[in-house]
Amino acid sequence: MSRNVSAATGQHALLVRHPGWLRLLLRPFSGDTPFPWLAPLIAMLLLFTIYPLIYNIWLSFHEYAPFRRQLEFVGLDNWRTLWQDTRFWGSLGVTFTYFFIVLSVQVALGMAIALLLDSDEPGFGLLRALLTLTLVVPPAITGMMFLLMQDPEFGVITYILESIGLLDGTRPILSTSSTALIGVMLADIWQWTPFMVLIFLAGLRSLPPEPFEAAMLDGASPFQIFRRITLPLMSKVIAVAVLIRGIDVFRMFDYVFVMTSGGPGTSTYVLSLYAWQQTFSFVKWGYGATISLVSLTIILIIANLFIKLAKVRW
Amino acid sequence: MIVQSTYRRRWRIAAAWSVVALFVFPLYYWTTTAFKNARDIFDRPPTVWLFDPTLKNFEEVFGISLGFLRQQEVLPGGGNFYMAPRLWDSIVVAIGSTMLSVMIATFAAYALSRLAFRGRHLFVSWVLSTRMMPPVAVAIPLFFIYKDVGLLDSYSGIILIHAVMNLPLAVLLMKSFFDDIPKEIDESAIIDGASRWLIFRRVILPMAKGGIAATAVLCFIFSWTEFVFVLTLTQTGLKTVPVVSSSFVTSTGTAWGNMAALGAAAMVPAFIFILLVQKQLVRGLTLGSLKQ
Repeated sequence: MSRNVSAATGQHALLVRHPGWLRLLLRPFSGDTPFPWLAPLIAMLLLFTIYPLIYNIWLSFHEYAPFRRQLEFVGLDNWRTLWQDTRFWGSLGVTFTYFFIVLSVQVALGMAIALLLDSDEPGFGLLRALLTLTLVVPPAITGMMFLLMQDPEFGVITYILESIGLLDGTRPILSTSSTALIGVMLADIWQWTPFMVLIFLAGLRSLPPEPFEAAMLDGASPFQIFRRITLPLMSKVIAVAVLIRGIDVFRMFDYVFVMTSGGPGTSTYVLSLYAWQQTFSFVKWGYGATISLVSLTIILIIANLFIKLAKVRW
Repeated sequence: MIVQSTYRRRWRIAAAWSVVALFVFPLYYWTTTAFKNARDIFDRPPTVWLFDPTLKNFEEVFGISLGFLRQQEVLPGGGNFYMAPRLWDSIVVAIGSTMLSVMIATFAAYALSRLAFRGRHLFVSWVLSTRMMPPVAVAIPLFFIYKDVGLLDSYSGIILIHAVMNLPLAVLLMKSFFDDIPKEIDESAIIDGASRWLIFRRVILPMAKGGIAATAVLCFIFSWTEFVFVLTLTQTGLKTVPVVSSSFVTSTGTAWGNMAALGAAAMVPAFIFILLVQKQLVRGLTLGSLKQ
C-alpha cells in the first residue's frame, strides 16, 4: 500500500514508473523471493552440468560397440575394468602427486613472493602488474612455451641446467620418465604462482596493523610474527586460494595434453587425460565416462572435506 | 609498515625485481621467438638477447604482408596458417560467453547477497561444486548431446559452455562485490518504497560497476584461454587460438616461430583488459574472505 502511494507521488529519486508490460515482467523481481533472480543460473547449471552428469552415469553402464556402431548396455563391466586397470590406478597416483606438489609449491612460493612484494616502494606496483602477465597466457600456449624452453636440443632451460651441471644432456627433461612430470609442473607453477601471489597480496594488504605493532614492541622476530600473526590472520584467504586452485590443479589437462600427452610411458598420465584418451582416441565412450565420474567424485569429496575443515563460508 | 635499514631495503628491492624477472623471462623468450628466424630459434646455445628480428612469422600466421614495415616476401606455405578467421572465432566466443555469464551471475549474486532464504549456503556450495567437474567429464557427454541437437561446431554451443564454465566463479566474485556494498543502503531504499528491481538497477548496479568489469575480464580471459571444450566440441567449423596454436606441432617438426607469433598476439587483448581492472580483480578474487 505505502509503496503505491509513494510511487504515485513520485517523491523519491528511486521511484520510476515503468510501462505496464514491463511492470508485469518485472513483478517477480520486486519482492523478496530469490527464485526469479536465480532461475537463469539454475537453468544453465542443470542443463550443462547436471544433465551431462546424469548422461555420464548412464554412459558408464554402456559401451560403444565399434562393429555394430551403437551403444550397448554392459552393466557393471566398465566399473569392473576400472577396478583392475593398473593404468587407471597409475594415473590416479600421478594425479595426486601432481596435485599435492603443485598446490603446495604454489602456496608456499606464492606466500613468499607476496611477503616480498608487500611494500609501498616505488616500482612495486609495476612488479605486481608484470606478474599478472602470466595469467593471460592460454595454458595450452604455456605448455608450448615450456616445451620450447625444455627442448633437449635448443631449449633455454635445458641449456641453463646443463651448464650448471644439473642435467647431463643425455636425459631430456620431458622424455625421461623420472623428470617429465616435473617439467609439466614447472609450467603450472610458473603460470599460477602469480595468481596466488595476487590473492595473498590482497589479503596481506587488508590486515589490521595493530597486532603487528604490538608484536614488534614485544620484540618478536620476523619469523615469529609470520607464524603467530600473519598466518592465522591470513588463513581464510589461504583457504579460498587453495580451494579455487586445488579444483583446477586436480582437473589439469592442457599442460599434459600439449607437452607430453601422458608419456613417456605413463609417467604424466593424469586422470583427465586418461579419460579423454579413452573416449576420443580409443572410442571407449563408456569407459571414458566412468573414469571422469571417478575423478569428479574424488574432487567433490576432497573439496567438501576441505570446505568443512577450513570453515570456508560464502 | 616499519622503518627498515636501508641495507635490508635494498636487498628486498633487488630480490623482488629478480623474482619478477624470473617469471617474466619465459614471456620475453616466447615473444622474442616470434621475431626470430629459424636459424636463431634452433641455435645452441639459445639466442636470448641478440638476434636478427624478422616479421616473417607474423606474416605467415596472419596471412598478411607486413612488407611496408620491412622489405620481405611472404613465404609460400604460410597459407595454412591464415589466422584472421580464428582470431575472429576467439573474439566472438569470448565476448559472447562473457556477456552471458556476467548477466546471469549478476542476477544470481544479487539474490545470494541480499535476499535471505533457506539453504542459501547450500546453494552456494552447489554452485561451486559444479566447477569441480573435470572439463573432460562435461565435454564427453556434451559431445554426444551437441551432436544430437546440432550444436557441434557452432558459436552458440561454445559460448554456452564457456558461460557455464565461468558461472560459479563469476557468481562468487559478484557476490563478494555486492557484499561490500552496505546493506543499509538497500534498507533505506526499501523504507522509501523502492522495489527490489529498482534497488538492483538504480543502486546496486551502479555501485558495483567496477566489480562487474572485473568479473567480465576474468570470464573473458578464461574463455579466451580455454582449451578442452573447443578441442572436443568443434571439428572444422570454428577454432579458437589456443587450439589452433597446438596444431602447429606437425610430423615434420614444430613451427615454433609461427606458434610464438600467434601466441604472443593472442595475449595482447587479454593483458590490456586485465591491467584495466587489476585492482578490483585482485580484491574480488579473495571472494569475500578478506572480511575478518
